[in-house]
Amino acid sequence: MTGVTDADVFAAFPAVLIDRDNIEHYRGLLQQRLLINRCSSCGYWVYPHRPLCPECWSWDIVPTEVRGEGFVFLCTLIHQERDPDAMLPEPVPAAAVELVEQSGLRYLAPIVNCPREAIRLDMPVRLTWVDRGGLASPAFEPAGPIQSGR
Amino acid sequence: MARNPLKDSLAVVGVGSTPYGRDLKRTELSLALEAAIGAIEDAGIDRQEIDGVCGTGMDPLAMGGSGFLTLQGALGIEKTTWQKNGWLGSCFVYAAEAVFSGLCDTVLVVQAYTRGPGMSRSAANDPFRLRAAQQRMAGQVLTGQSDFARRWIHSGEPYAAWMARYMHDYKATKDAFARIAVNNRTHATRNPRAAMRTPITMEDYHASRVIWEPMQMLDMDVPVDCAEALIITTAERAMDLRHKPVYIHAMSLGGSRVGEYYDNSLGWTDNSLWISLAGLWERSDVTIDDLDLFFPYDGYTIDTVGCIEAAGFCKPGEAGDLLASSWDAEANILRLGGHTLLTTNGGGLSQGRAGGFNFYTEAVRQLRGAEGERQVPDARTALVCPGSSFFHDPASVMLRTD
Ligand SMILES: [Zn+2]
Repeated sequence: MTGVTDADVFAAFPAVLIDRDNIEHYRGLLQQRLLINRCSSCGYWVYPHRPLCPECWSWDIVPTEVRGEGFVFLCTLIHQERDPDAMLPEPVPAAAVELVEQSGLRYLAPIVNCPREAIRLDMPVRLTWVDRGGLASPAFEPAGPIQSGR
Repeated sequence: MARNPLKDSLAVVGVGSTPYGRDLKRTELSLALEAAIGAIEDAGIDRQEIDGVCGTGMDPLAMGGSGFLTLQGALGIEKTTWQKNGWLGSCFVYAAEAVFSGLCDTVLVVQAYTRGPGMSRSAANDPFRLRAAQQRMAGQVLTGQSDFARRWIHSGEPYAAWMARYMHDYKATKDAFARIAVNNRTHATRNPRAAMRTPITMEDYHASRVIWEPMQMLDMDVPVDCAEALIITTAERAMDLRHKPVYIHAMSLGGSRVGEYYDNSLGWTDNSLWISLAGLWERSDVTIDDLDLFFPYDGYTIDTVGCIEAAGFCKPGEAGDLLASSWDAEANILRLGGHTLLTTNGGGLSQGRAGGFNFYTEAVRQLRGAEGERQVPDARTALVCPGSSFFHDPASVMLRTD
């Protein structure tokens, strides 16, 4: 993880609770690598980022890059933000993408490069990076041909 | 059966409620105190008999607002031997535990809800609401909304996503959700405390604004200013008080592995609701066929569908058919299995957002049997599932009367 110091990570994500269990994930984001904590003893992916493997109780957790492939498990089109002064110019698709590494391992990200009406649950997607407030941020795009119609 | 040593040994003996309104121009504490006094007077007890207080808040030591640190002194209650803050439906369970375990004999539970500045444009422009929210935020951990991956921590959006998943997996239409919205509104038209009393139709539901697709405005509870309070004591003590006792027959909470990141959800039938309701039935002698009243959580209509299925009124995915066959088209309400009435006060969707705590007070009033024109004839049992989130501390409580 050369070049990105802890101070850089804290500065890049001022509103995020960064701690010793998740800092490598955020350092990875600054290098456009999606890292998820993984148990070195049994191979279980530990997400949300926690210091103990819930399967085998090993403390040997290593942040590990995922392949960035998966499918859309949950998705909602956000038409309105909680903050009524932050109205959205167009609806944002927020998807819990189930990653191929493990059943139930999901990462929440926007779906991009896909017409909103073509987003389907179970649709295969792959990781890409988009600009979000000046930072490259993870997003997912269709991995195969897009279906048309509803 | 699971152990249930507390069965029928505790009773709710007092209830108090404020009006519900979009903008009551009062502090949360003011509302909380009105509801608390209402409950104490309704019980007909001296306030110094209260020796336990459960206030409002997700933080056990929340300051200001209507937490116990503020409530006890503001009500002039001299001494208590048990205090806690809680929210949604689970606070009731904690208070009952305290009486059962002997940490106190008579507990006051107060829940106040106010419209936050993020809930509407007019609320966002109210300097008093802004300041109250800022003070609350100051004591909270950063959830990190700037990180998209963390936006579903304690968020409503995943409920919308689950609504889509449910419709996809079970080939369900939105009519099931529409019937819930109409049922609750019809009941609210007869409830003088309700904030939303104009009747609605299925068409109104379908035409309502889309917020988080596929979730629409009428799928969501109505943020209001309100407070509810009640008093729990021993069944023995309840015999000497003025109202017919309403007994706590069985209770269960429900926890799963999901935690606070809702994208980490388990399957539809593995979430906390199912755990809570299974725990309830393992402790209850009252069966689903005996139920006169059912109060499934309605923070979002998908919660209600989940509660109905988790309670066992139908199989997973079959709520649409059940609600269609349970629809009383003349009265515009649901009668599950032709009998059980749902959410007779209008719930969060139409009376207003009280974290489901208004289910308890409504159930108690109906089981006492003195609600006049609103009274459900011969109501003796009520299953209350208030604040039943898919992901954390859902409560299932069986109330009954003799
Ligand atoms: Zn392990």
